[in-house]
Amino acid sequence: MINRRSISARVTMMNLIVSGAALMLACAGFFAYDQVTFREALVRTLSAQVQIIGSNSVSALLFNDPESAENTLSALRSFRNVASAGILTADQHVFATYTRNPGDEILNLPVLTQGQNEAYWFRNTHLVLMRAITSEGRVVGYVYVRAELSEINVRLRRYALIAAAVLLLSLLLALFVSRAFERGITGRIIGLADMARRVSRERNYSLRMPAAADSTEVGVLVESFNAMLQEVQQRDSALQKAHDELELRVQERTRELLSANRELEAFSYSVSHDLRGPIDALNGFSYVLLQQYGGSLGPGGEEIVGHIRASARRMRELIDVLLNLSRVTTSTMHLEAVDLSAMARSIADELRRNEPLRQVQFSIAQTQPVQGDVRLLRIALENLLRNAWKYTSKHASADIEFGEKQEHGRTVFYVKDNGAGFNPKLAGQLFQPFQRLHNAEDFQGDGIGLATVRRILSRHGGEIWAEGAPEQGATFYFTISAGSSDRPR
Amino acid sequence: MKAHLNTAFSSVKRWRHLNTALFYPLFILAICDLPASAQSPRPTEFQVKAAYLYNFGKFVRWPESVSAGPVFTMCVFGDDPFDGALQQVTDGQKVNGLSVEVRQVTAVDAIKGCRVLFINGEDPGWRSGIATAKKLAVLTVGDAPDFLERGGMIQFVLVANRVRFEVNLDAAREAGLQLSAELLKVAAKVVAQNPPGGQR
Repeated sequence: MINRRSISARVTMMNLIVSGAALMLACAGFFAYDQVTFREALVRTLSAQVQIIGSNSVSALLFNDPESAENTLSALRSFRNVASAGILTADQHVFATYTRNPGDEILNLPVLTQGQNEAYWFRNTHLVLMRAITSEGRVVGYVYVRAELSEINVRLRRYALIAAAVLLLSLLLALFVSRAFERGITGRIIGLADMARRVSRERNYSLRMPAAADSTEVGVLVESFNAMLQEVQQRDSALQKAHDELELRVQERTRELLSANRELEAFSYSVSHDLRGPIDALNGFSYVLLQQYGGSLGPGGEEIVGHIRASARRMRELIDVLLNLSRVTTSTMHLEAVDLSAMARSIADELRRNEPLRQVQFSIAQTQPVQGDVRLLRIALENLLRNAWKYTSKHASADIEFGEKQEHGRTVFYVKDNGAGFNPKLAGQLFQPFQRLHNAEDFQGDGIGLATVRRILSRHGGEIWAEGAPEQGATFYFTISAGSSDRPR
Repeated sequence: MKAHLNTAFSSVKRWRHLNTALFYPLFILAICDLPASAQSPRPTEFQVKAAYLYNFGKFVRWPESVSAGPVFTMCVFGDDPFDGALQQVTDGQKVNGLSVEVRQVTAVDAIKGCRVLFINGEDPGWRSGIATAKKLAVLTVGDAPDFLERGGMIQFVLVANRVRFEVNLDAAREAGLQLSAELLKVAAKVVAQNPPGGQR
């Protein structure tokens, strides 16, 4: 609340400080003036008293009658601030004294200089005034009084009291003025601050400050703020509209793309499927031709038929691969927990069994189970491990590693080998169907494996990428976040 | 005489003694400033009386008829007991702006012209001197024990070894003299049969 009201608090504080300081200065000035006038008045009063006492003490001095002089002095009893007084003879001997209270005797009397009729001295706590008593032009004695200045302190206290009271009143007034001010200018600034906070919190740009009817800076501020909100609101709605349109268009395009893709897949499947019949026929009839009419074809003819048969077989294989790929894309997924490391171990065993003569070191780390389709994931992992097995075949000793690591908050699996590797510039082509980076003479393959892997991982909401260099080995990284991104078909 | 004044100033002396150190600078100044007589041993009784005699003139108003003359004449009737002290006290002094002259008077006829007359009580003719002086509006001062009863105006007395004076206000009034209240204030006694209404 304090923080929120900081403007009004500061304005109030400013008022209080200014009025307080002005008051203090005024009080100090008044007090200083009062000090001066009080001292002057005191000197005047005492001077008059001393004159009267002096002229009434002439006979006492001349006729050596201290009692009479003391009588005269005792008239000072009616002056409360006169602490002591006395009369000295012309040769400065004490003639008569008066003290208000015992112990008030003055000990250190100043002396009038030659020809001086009257003089006064301000000490710390008192005023001493001395006057020569003359008769027939001759000094016959001196009279002095010592007045306490404690009345000044009394006045000071009274001033302090008045100042405190006035200060309190003026502070209250300042507070009141600040409150009134707050209702006016400060209040609207606070309102503006509240509104700004609300707008930024609720992102509601349709809010408006109540219109200001004045032309002060605050009014201009409110107006500008409203205009700014208006502008923001317009831009916001325009932006929202553009965003919505874009979203619609993306959905539309996605839909179109999906249907096109599905058509393409269906077409691809049916073509592959339908191609199998003629190829099988071609294969079968060429076999029959070779068996029954092989002799009549002659050696050249037999060789040609052999070529036809090999091509037909090769075509059949390609069609099967395409069908497999198509199945991978279209088959329904059954999600369950899959232990990829166990799967990797079983694939490795299988690979060793098939080629027991090869020296390959498998190191397979235990990994977290993932959610996925066990059949599809096996196809993917088998492709990756088989690739590693295959591309390390030219090396006397091969190391193949399977494991996982944490990267950017997600689990990344990898299959790493120390085999032939690849040209990193061509890494993008690795996952395209029928793209082969190596000669078929060096490494056998149909060029569809990594494309299949990518499709499977993509269906599991994952990605795949590769790092490698020629003869430096290759590492294939992949992620799986199953189920989330498999689009319904 | 010393003994008289000793007592009179004893309280003053004690007080001063207490504060000798503080008063030291004041003393130096006082000593330098004072006439030689003040430093001399205690003034004698007649020195004090001479000073009083001179000072009385300052507190008396004479009738208009007497105020002629450029000098203020102070006279001593009979033998002069002051031993020159009166001349010493009045030398160069003024009373009411007039310079003071001291005169010895031996005969009653010579009183005329005096303003203040000290009457030596040992003189055989002092009583007639009082009567004459009264007619001439002369302030009479004396030290005879029955001076006031005999019509004198101011009589020196010794009170507690101090020289003081008593006043016969009636006598002064009859002579047309006005004694100021200041003077009466310091008198040891004021004799007045009539109420002091006419007094000022």
